[in-house]
Order: sequence, then structure tokens, then C-alpha cells
Amino acid sequence: MNARTTTLPPCTSCGEEPGDGARFCENCGADLAAQGAALPEAAPDAERERPTEEVTAPTTPAAPTAPVCRACGGTIADDGYCELCGEPAGNERDHWTEQPAPWVAGACDIGRRHRRNEDAMALAADPEPGRFAALVVCDGVSSAPDSDLASLAAARAARDVLAEGRPDGSTPVTGTTSERMGTWSALLSAAALAANEAIVETVGDKAHRDDPPSCTFVAAVVDGPLVVAGWIGDSRAYWLPDDGPGRQLSVDDSWAEEMVAQGMSREQADASPQAHAITRWLGPDAHDLTARTAPTVPSGPGWLVVCSDGLWNYCPGADDLGGLVRTTAEATGGEPAPLAAELVRWANAQGGRDNITVTLARFDNLLMNLPPTPETADEAPTTPTDPRS
Amino acid sequence: MAEFTAEVFQNEFLSEGGTDVHAIVTVTCTGAGTAGGAGAGGGVAEIIMVDTSGSMSGRNIESAKHAAQVAVDQILDGTWFAIIGGSHVANRAFPYPNARVSMVQMEPGARDEAKRAISMMTPGGGTAMSTWLRLAAQLFDSVPQATQRHAILLTDGKNESEARGMLTKAVRDVTGQFQCDARGVGSRWQVDELREISTALLGSVGLIADPSEIAADFEALMRASMARGVASADLRVWAPQGAQVLFVRQVAPTVEDLTNRRVEVNALSGAYPTGSWGDESRDYHVAVRVGSKPVGSEQLAARVQLAVGGEVVSSGLVKAKWSDDETLTTRINPEVAHYTGQAELAAVIQEGLAAKASGDEATATVKLGRAVQLAQQTGNDEATSRLRKVVDIDSEEQGTVRLKRNTSTLDEMALDTASTKTTRVRR
Repeated sequence: MNARTTTLPPCTSCGEEPGDGARFCENCGADLAAQGAALPEAAPDAERERPTEEVTAPTTPAAPTAPVCRACGGTIADDGYCELCGEPAGNERDHWTEQPAPWVAGACDIGRRHRRNEDAMALAADPEPGRFAALVVCDGVSSAPDSDLASLAAARAARDVLAEGRPDGSTPVTGTTSERMGTWSALLSAAALAANEAIVETVGDKAHRDDPPSCTFVAAVVDGPLVVAGWIGDSRAYWLPDDGPGRQLSVDDSWAEEMVAQGMSREQADASPQAHAITRWLGPDAHDLTARTAPTVPSGPGWLVVCSDGLWNYCPGADDLGGLVRTTAEATGGEPAPLAAELVRWANAQGGRDNITVTLARFDNLLMNLPPTPETADEAPTTPTDPRS
Repeated sequence: MAEFTAEVFQNEFLSEGGTDVHAIVTVTCTGAGTAGGAGAGGGVAEIIMVDTSGSMSGRNIESAKHAAQVAVDQILDGTWFAIIGGSHVANRAFPYPNARVSMVQMEPGARDEAKRAISMMTPGGGTAMSTWLRLAAQLFDSVPQATQRHAILLTDGKNESEARGMLTKAVRDVTGQFQCDARGVGSRWQVDELREISTALLGSVGLIADPSEIAADFEALMRASMARGVASADLRVWAPQGAQVLFVRQVAPTVEDLTNRRVEVNALSGAYPTGSWGDESRDYHVAVRVGSKPVGSEQLAARVQLAVGGEVVSSGLVKAKWSDDETLTTRINPEVAHYTGQAELAAVIQEGLAAKASGDEATATVKLGRAVQLAQQTGNDEATSRLRKVVDIDSEEQGTVRLKRNTSTLDEMALDTASTKTTRVRR
């Protein structure tokens, strides 16, 4: 588990103790910002995620930094509008960013057309680049009301399960590369189940509606040179190497993919009106909670991208997304936080028809050797292999 | 301690592709206190400039002297003051020319002595108002501790002893150094000359038809000045990056275009000097052009603020929201409509009278007809009654009028002088 140094007061709606960096009550989904809780920003996040000896609450919390404009990156003034471009600050649930470590960042945004942000994300990372990260994205089903509550609860629950396997977690994942692949795949399945339980717990009576709150699930874990993705639904994970073609790690649980699997042509499947309908999801009425998983071992520097369809709908192909990420990263200086923000801005510029979530992990120097842990003495692969290729 | 509030009236909804945002911002000051009173930053200084040219001989000079004495009675103890007699040159009447100080602080002895000095003023010579303004600025300069500086200027004639450019240059040179209310008595002075002075020096221009009315006017002016407990304030307008401030206009109690008085605060904010404040309300019309955004978007189009001593004391937010709901976007805000009409009213009155003076009766008829129509639409009955003295009205609704023959110069000047006075929206 992450070191908890929160000093946020309990939720005034239900009395729940807010979690680490919580913007919304994890129990009832109430807006903690509106309750007057100071919201930690990106920098304090990174600080907090670092394991420290001091796990008791500090007497003086980090001074809250002024909120940042979602449109131009300027400062939001006390009157609730950007000091530079006049953009309204909006609701914290509508737009927020996370950066648990300098090499891992995400942005979650309402987009331009939807009235609610039903996307959610939850990130965890080790300060040492490439050592450990968990990126979770859940996309609430917009036809089911209150799916914003479901997605946030699910993403956080899943992240917390995955964080148990981090090197300083409660049950660190150890062993050879293939053993780790198996363990992480199992943890991803467990994370999906935990996410579903969190949804059921969060939505309470809403579970009995005809259209109970529900969401997709996609997560990717970085462990040394290993990346393992797991998903239910059509939110996606991509590996985009700096050199060479990008790859979509996940395979959508969508009507189109099922038809293709049954032999229909890709063109015919994609052209169908229900092509994008998802066939699996999380929620009280979910019929299949088994996350599909895919491990990979990247062979060079690049970007791990876990995102919702608010981004990939504008750029579905892995190569197209790879090109977009490469040029955008060059323009923004190669850091994950500004890159995530810029990709959200780009998707909004394309129309922002859906909620947009982009989470990123940057690999510069791949940890070719597995991190030394006391229990393991396994052989690091000298030539990285990709089991999928 | 003075308190300011800013209230915004606008229709924030724009249709798809809409870019121009209009708002009326009412700034209200309460608890201003008295000039130089508790809470005021510095001292107060007053100068009375009385025309002592040869044309003033007779009732005018006697009435003006009486009025100046009445005004002196209104100046609060402790206020720095001086009296200037102006002709083709400017003379300091009080403190006496041989005094070593340029201004003195009011106290009972000084008040009596000043009144005596005023009684000894005698008419003679021409009129060169640039010299009056420059001497006033020089006297104010001698009391840097007085941060609130106000003057009254009274004349009865044209600025005939110097080129027009001399006055313009002097006005430009003293702008920002003191505020000045300008008054013309009778019908032989030039409205445009005094308006140039009062506009630049953040004061009012007024016509006094009969010399017997000067005293009451001076008394009111000085009393108002003494009730302005806030020495100086700026209107600040912030507009977002890439936006353009189309205009900033005071629209009540009078119309004054402030657009070109902008002093940059930073890349996105400009300050517009508004002079001193008493307990009062002023309305401002701010128009900003922003980049169009998709339907459903919202953005802040302007922050309209009042700053005292460089510190923002009140702020109003002007917003833009793009909508495809025509019932929202086509609604015209009554305040904006009212003051747009009042600003046009001021302009067409001035243009109509100028056309009439130059013999262009066709233009004068059209402009003054439009003025009659606007005065009716915006409920400015005072303007209507002044217009009636210059034109015969066939239809107020249509704005059809005929120019009156043999109108009195005084009536035309009264219409011109008061053209910028506005009525408030009936809320």
C-alpha cells in the first residue's frame, strides 16, 4: 500500500475517511473539494507516493497549489476562472491530473460534449523510472446514470490491489520474468474483481436498477522490463516504442471484435452501427468478470499509454497514435504530465465528443535487469523477448 | 472606510460563432467619508480659477466673485487652497502674489483673507486659459502631500487670446495632475473648449445661464468635491489572452469614452483613471471581442475591477456562454440596450448641432430627429425637453422633426453641454 499522509477531514456526507489524494469520497462519491478539503496537486502527489518512514499525518499539510487551467495551463484565480484565458475551473471531477512519480502521469477530462465526466483513472508508481507503475482507466457507461461513481470507485480499488504487488508493497511480486507475468496476470484479474466489488458497494441501491452504474476496466502494470495489461471492455493499453511500430496490447471487448473473431471482415464489422457496443463491462449486471491479460517485454525506450475511447476514437490505429504521441512529446518536451495534458487538449480540439482519459508511463532507460529484491535470484533475460511477437 | 461593489448586467449567451460580449458594470461606492478624512491617504487641495478678462466686467465679475467666496466657505479646514484670476495671463489672487507660499491650508483666518482677496479682483485683458491651467498645475505641484486635487474653472468667453493648439497642449500637459470642473456663464463661451478641459481632467462641464446662478453651482461643486473621500481610483479591465477590448465607456452619470485612456497594468489588464469618488454609483459599458468557442463552452470574457491605490477593491465578472438555444442568445440585455441608446443620443446631439452650426440643415434634421427618437426610447425626458427648444417634433417614435427658426444660442448650448448626461435604467 502507499504511504498515507493524508490530513483530509472525513467526508461530510457519509463520514468516510478520505483516501490518499482523494478528490471524491471513495465511499459515496461526494465532491470533497466542495466540502472544503484541500486538494493535493501533482507535485505533492509525487511526494506522497514515495515510501517514507514517516507514515503519520504531518501537522502541516503541503500548501495547496493554485489549480491549473485545463485549457492553457495558466493559474485559476480565486474567482474560478483562468488568469490567462478565462476558462472556467470547472468541477474537480470534470478534470483532474495525477502524477505519482515524475515518469508517470495522467489526465482525466470531461471533454466538450458530455455533461458529466464518467471516465476515471487511478495511478501508482515507484519514484525510480521503470521500476513499478500501475495505470488504471475506467470509462463509465454513459447510458447508465451514475456511472461516474462506478468508474472512480473501480479505478481506485483496482489500483490499490495492483499496488500490493509493488516492490515496497504488502505482497511484492517476485520470481522469474515468466513467474512475474503469471503473478501480475492473476493480480490484474483480482484487481478487476475488487473493482467490481467497489462498484457494487459504492452504488448501493442503484445496483437494482434496470441500468445499474457500470464501466469498462483497463490496467497496465510496469515491473522492471515487464509490462502486463488487463482489461474488460474497450478502454485500451498501447505500447508505443520510440523506434518501430506501436502495438495495441488490449483487444476490445466490442461487438466488432467479436464479429471479426467469428469471421466477419474488419470493414464490415467496423461499419456496423453497433460496432462500438461493448460486450463486457464491470458493474452489478456484469456477466463476465474475467479480465483478459497480455504481457509484453518492451525492447527499447517508448511510451506506455492507457486511455479511454475519448482519445483513441480520434486516433484508433496504434501507428497513428504512436505518431501523435511522438510529435506531441517532442512539442511538449518529453515529460509525461504535459504530454498527457496536451493529448487531452488535442482530443478536445478534435471535438471532445466523449470523456477523455490519458495515462502515460515513460521508459527512457529500460530496467534490463529485474530490480534486486532480497528473495529473488532469478536470471534476467539478456535479450528481451516479447511473448506476443 | 469606503467600500466598493461591482454589479454586472449582461446577456452572457452567444450564438454559435458569436464573438462580441457587452456588459454594463455598475460600480457603487459607500462610506467614502470626507475629502482628506479618516482613511484618506493624503491631503486635499482646491483651486478656484475665475475669469477676470475684460468681458467679465459688470454683473458677471461681481457674481463670480460672490460665487468664489461662497465656494471658499465650503472648503473644509485643513484643505490646501488657492485662488487664481485668469485673463490672457494667470495671476495668483490668493495666497497674495507677494506671499512666499503657493498654497495655504484652510482655517478661519485664511478663509476671511481669501474672501478679501477675491473681492479685490478686477477685470481686464483677454482670455488664454492655457496659462490658467498651467499656473494651477504649478501651484498644486507645491503641495505634493496633497494627493487629491480638484479645481473649478469659470469663464464667460472664448479662449481668444491664444491659438486653439495652446489650450490643447496645456490640457494634455496637466492631465492626471488634477481634476477640473469647467463652467461657462452666459452664451459667449465655447462648449467644445470647456468640454475638452473637463473631459481630460475627469470633471464635468456646465452651462450657467444667468450669473446669479453661479454661487449655487459653485457651492454644489465644492460640496461634492469635499464629499469625495476616495482620492483616486482606477477602473481595471482584464480580457483573456487573444481577446480585444473593443471599448470601455462610462455611461452614467455621463457618457465618457475611456477607451483611449488605457494605461497598461500587464499584458492582459488595462487601467482607466476615474478620479476621486464619493458615495455614488457609476455605470460602465465594456465591450470585449473573444475567440468563438463551440456551443456548450463557457469562458470569462472580462474582469471589470475597481482599484484604489493599486489594490483591487471590487471585481465584476463578464462571461460568455455559447448556446444553440435562440431564446437565450437573442435576448437583449435591457441595461446594455439602454446605455447603447444613450451613448448614441449624446453623439447625435453633438453631431446634429455641429451640422446645424455649419449650415448643413439636412444632416442636422436627421441627427436631431434620431436624438428625439432615442431620448423617447430611453426615457431621457430632460433631453427631450432640451431638444424641443431646438426642433419642432412631428413624431417622437419616428424621429421626424423640423429645425426651429430663431432658436436661442443659449438653448443650443444647453442642449450641447448636457448631451452627455444620461438617465439610469429603470430597474
